[in-house]
Amino acid sequence: MLDRMTLVIDRLSKRYGDVVALDEVGFSVAPGEIFGFLGANGAGKTTTMRIVLDILRADSGTVTWRGRPSTELPRRTFGYLPEERGLYPRMRVLEQLVFFAGLYGVPQPDARRDALDWLERFRVSDLAGRRADELSKGNQQKIQFIAAVLHDPEVVLMDEPFTGLDPVNVALLRAAFLELAARGRTLIFSTHQMEVVESLAASIAIIDHGRLVTGGSTREVRRRAGRPVVRLAVEGDVELGWAVDLPGVRASRRSADVTELTVSPGTDPQSILHAALARGAVVTCFEIADASLEDVFIELVGRPATGASAATGRTVVSAA
Amino acid sequence: MSGHPDSGLLPNALLIARREYVEKLRSRAFAVATAILMAVAVGAALVPIGLRALDREQTTRIGVTSPSPAVTGRVIDLVSQYLNPIPPGADPATVRPHYILRSEPDLATGLVDVDSGRLDSVLEVSIGSTGALDFTFHGNDGPTSATIQRLQVATFGAAVVEYSQNLQGSAGPAFHVPSFDLQPTDLGPSVAPVDPAVAGSRTLLASILVVLIFITLTVYGMWVATSVASEKASRVMELLISAGTPRQLLVGKVVGVGAAGLTQYLAILLPATLVLALQDPLATALIGPADPGEAPLIGLTLPILVAFGAFFILGFLLYAFVYAAAGSLVSRPEDIQQLAMPLSFVSMAGYFAAIFGMTAINSRVVEVLSFVPFFSPYVMLARVMLGHVDAWEIALSLGLLVAAIGASMWIAARIYGAGVLLYGQRPGFRTFLRVAIRPGGG
Repeated sequence: MLDRMTLVIDRLSKRYGDVVALDEVGFSVAPGEIFGFLGANGAGKTTTMRIVLDILRADSGTVTWRGRPSTELPRRTFGYLPEERGLYPRMRVLEQLVFFAGLYGVPQPDARRDALDWLERFRVSDLAGRRADELSKGNQQKIQFIAAVLHDPEVVLMDEPFTGLDPVNVALLRAAFLELAARGRTLIFSTHQMEVVESLAASIAIIDHGRLVTGGSTREVRRRAGRPVVRLAVEGDVELGWAVDLPGVRASRRSADVTELTVSPGTDPQSILHAALARGAVVTCFEIADASLEDVFIELVGRPATGASAATGRTVVSAA
Repeated sequence: MSGHPDSGLLPNALLIARREYVEKLRSRAFAVATAILMAVAVGAALVPIGLRALDREQTTRIGVTSPSPAVTGRVIDLVSQYLNPIPPGADPATVRPHYILRSEPDLATGLVDVDSGRLDSVLEVSIGSTGALDFTFHGNDGPTSATIQRLQVATFGAAVVEYSQNLQGSAGPAFHVPSFDLQPTDLGPSVAPVDPAVAGSRTLLASILVVLIFITLTVYGMWVATSVASEKASRVMELLISAGTPRQLLVGKVVGVGAAGLTQYLAILLPATLVLALQDPLATALIGPADPGEAPLIGLTLPILVAFGAFFILGFLLYAFVYAAAGSLVSRPEDIQQLAMPLSFVSMAGYFAAIFGMTAINSRVVEVLSFVPFFSPYVMLARVMLGHVDAWEIALSLGLLVAAIGASMWIAARIYGAGVLLYGQRPGFRTFLRVAIRPGGG
């Protein structure tokens, strides 16, 4: 049975007093998979991760990994990159990494060697002897990532690992993700950067207000939950006013050279091309694609995934 | 948590303890505080020598009275020679006498002088029909005091000399061993059965040790709470709690801080104890050779040190777990004070019970309190030093203390596991209780 191999999160519920943090959330993650766990701030991502790690107990529901309940798994099964980064401010980086790996049972010499390897990979070997409070935010985050994976856990849970990293470091982290997954490690991460999910995660789950909204392979979710989009460019016509006037079509995004049109179910995207050709327009770009994850997210959650606007959106929702 | 693969304490508790210990010892605040306290303790240990020096400046005046002025004169001569020995090698002219004996016309006059403070005491000599002497000491020195012990020897000598002077020819009365009675001049309620000087120094020592326990339990307890709270504030806690169990983190923290505290303790007490132990040679070096009769000042014996060590360590463990639980509930180290307050009241209650209990050390209340875990480190220590305690009582008190430590560790682990993930609120004592009862209930 496949369930005996995977991480199964089964109908988790958790309340804090009157607040429902999780309401029967369930999904599963295959071994060796990179999994995107999406949701606005306060949707329940951190609570779910904490329950998987067994540092918080669910009111009901279970988490199993390869058939064993997470409450019986050794701590070293999991690696964790918490959303709120934290290191010992006055401890030196290498010392710190060796200490945390030690808690997971890694012997000191091995931890030292692997920590130095990771530091080199992230091009921060010079930080080994520095105190954590002397590091820049981006560097601190890289150290935090190393702390999460140094004991080579089977499952790595990461809350917003990409926030605050510059493009170079995003690329380094991305490479580390792929390498870990290639070695059969299972990676679960949350982020507000949808393009990262699109390019990295084979599967996703989206939760909102403690409930699972959708889940499955990223392609499938985009196809199922989102409406198809048509990317259209016509020579000499940036407005494309005629296209937006077609029934079941609206402009969802405009950029300098291409306009993205969302097509309602029941409307054939080809009809747009027919209409364009009928008008005698010179079509320079016509592409039918699945909805972007960004669009799917907005469609399902009702607001963009980014932090600030999500918070405002939530206030509006709860006030309504 | 039964059956959980990580439910053992080792090695994580040890790793955490070591990290805590190293960080604490490396901190500048620790070094500065230790150095200052060390200096203070050595200074305090030198006080007895200072007192001794002062003591030497003091002279004791004793009036001597007898029916015969001749006898009075001879007794004064002999006794004062014995009481004021010339240290070997010293020039007799420069040695100041500690005891000044002078003749009093009669006992009544002498006692009036004692009352007015001109004399410290009166030695009354009575002459029997055969010329044998008996002595009565009117004064407040206890039977074990240096003055009385030396007077007894000196008066015996005086009686022997008097006997041999009266002996003419071979016929005569047999030697009468002189009696030596003590007649306290002040019959107030404060007359203690033991030498007040000894009892006084015992009480002083007991007070010092009880105060020391109080201060260190509070200070080291706050170290624990602050350390937990700052791990929360720096958010390193989330990483810790996903790597170790609450019990491992808690025990590691308490042991690490405790070891740092113990290190500070030893750093402070070792030099001071050394000074106390070497009191005599040091005194000789600093203020000259000792008089033969000078009593060692403070009775810091090995059993007392052992009792002190045991009650300090166990008391620390008991309080530290509760402090750690309190620290786990606050989001910022500044908020600890609020939660630690009730705890320091408990500690203070034990401290006051011990201090005030010293005046009624064998009372029922003190006896009962000396078994109550949060109080016993103070009260039982005081009893051990000042009262009469059976071995089983100490064993029972220690046993209850150990049991209470187990219970407080268990409760603290529950609070800690839930508390470390609580942010944003300023929890009061009520949160503390609620989380202790139902850790999961957010």
